[in-house]
Amino acid sequence: MKWWEWVLSLLPGGLGIIIASLATNSIISNPILFMRGSLSALAIYGGLTLSVIAVLAVLLWNYNQKVQIDTILEMHKRAGEDRRRFLQRLDHELKNPLTAIRAGLTNISDGPLDEYLANEVSAVQAQVLRISGLVSDLRKLAALEITPLERTKVNMADLLSEVVNVLEDRAKTGERQLSLILPNAPWPLPEVDGDPDLLLLAVHNLLDNAIKFTSPGDTIEVRAFDDDDDIVIEVADTGPGISTNEVQRVWEELYRGEGARGVPGSGLGLPLVQAIIEKHGGKVALRSRQDQGTVFSLRLPAG
Amino acid sequence: MIMNTKPKLLLVDDETAITDRLAPFLSRAGFEVRVVADGEAALREVVSFSPDLVVLDVLMPRLDGREVLRRLRQEGDWTPVILLTQVGESAERAMALMEGADDYINKPFDSNELVARINAVLRRASPGQPPLTVAERLRSGDLVVDRAKQRAYLNNDEILLSPKAMSLLQYMITHPDELLSRDRLLDAVWGWDYPIGTRTVDTRVAELRRVLDEDFGDPRYIETVPGQGYRFIGKVEKTS
Repeated sequence: MKWWEWVLSLLPGGLGIIIASLATNSIISNPILFMRGSLSALAIYGGLTLSVIAVLAVLLWNYNQKVQIDTILEMHKRAGEDRRRFLQRLDHELKNPLTAIRAGLTNISDGPLDEYLANEVSAVQAQVLRISGLVSDLRKLAALEITPLERTKVNMADLLSEVVNVLEDRAKTGERQLSLILPNAPWPLPEVDGDPDLLLLAVHNLLDNAIKFTSPGDTIEVRAFDDDDDIVIEVADTGPGISTNEVQRVWEELYRGEGARGVPGSGLGLPLVQAIIEKHGGKVALRSRQDQGTVFSLRLPAG
Repeated sequence: MIMNTKPKLLLVDDETAITDRLAPFLSRAGFEVRVVADGEAALREVVSFSPDLVVLDVLMPRLDGREVLRRLRQEGDWTPVILLTQVGESAERAMALMEGADDYINKPFDSNELVARINAVLRRASPGQPPLTVAERLRSGDLVVDRAKQRAYLNNDEILLSPKAMSLLQYMITHPDELLSRDRLLDAVWGWDYPIGTRTVDTRVAELRRVLDEDFGDPRYIETVPGQGYRFIGKVEKTS
């Protein structure tokens, strides 16, 4: 029970005692003298009874609230486990048919084919590889949730340079102004205790998205700084922005926003980023203004 | 008498959709193929068909692939085995090697990649002998890898490697003399493809070389095969 709950509950009892003492000491003048004794008794018993009832009521109310919260937490946990199992099963169930389809296509393309069929087969092959990629992303998501991290000291400044380096060419060809802003003063970016390959994948996905969803002439900044015991990585762009009703949904698996139509992707890129960062004990967030741009930020505990 | 020089393959998977597609492909690739659909039949056929290599699916009803492998090895049968794994977890894959598989490949895979794996294992296998993949300690020159303890030593000094570099070293030293493409290493060690996966492999190989103190012009352990991948060139032996 909180202090104010105690104060409120004990108020009637306290008042009763005060009234009773005032009455017996004749401070309250009572026209009917014989009632003086029963008034104080009434005030004490009535007040104390009310206080006891109030304490019990508050305790019951609090207990009820706690049970409700526990139930909600339990439901969330179960929903999370269901989702995990669902992803694992989907992954398992897709693997065997995909293996058979790929083997069958290889058999067909080994035979004599005219130009038309050869084209068709390679088109189907490309689509099968696309599904294989999706399955692979699903597996990553499922594996992330059950596998412990392989931790090592990661130099985030080097990692960010590496990602920018890899995607620089694409940004340049697409006429995006890409820059990397890293702190040097008063100290460089601290290290992070984590899996370098996963962290690279997370930052890569963000920058890859930034390039995909912007237009020629747009600016993209990858920047990082430390904030108390955390390091914050931001990928910011001057792209079209994400509408307010979509901002929360972009983290959902297989969700593809309005702006994503016609842009290649699996709808698993951001959920993977989120899963990776949360696995490292960090948080993801995004700020966006329509027609102005978007900032994705990753907050990781420095190690 | 006509000598049958075709290597004999036993293909074990309960998914006929897969075996019906793979068996003809493997026959065309020059193998004599027999197909069975469960673990118990696999154990019988290993005796009666005496294959040169078994391609074994892990997830099967009744007796799963891992159990088949365990029973074979317990009986001292060292017929080479390639596991068709379903697991994405690197620790489990490393375990598969320790349990006596010669190699593994993740579903879904490319038929040509399976043939490449089969040929590599057959080339490396010495009949009736346990493969390097089951050895707890391996030595190559000044390098000793203790797989049970997950440690490595150079000139008797322990070397410090990131977990991925350690898994990579273990995979490479148990598959010496084999051309390992970046994609193959990604699949075998990381278990999934990364958008910039091949670079990820290069980064870890660079770490290994740095720690192993390799001379770029004259490497003792890991050789770059330009445009194709890497090869562990050191002579590898089991040690205690």
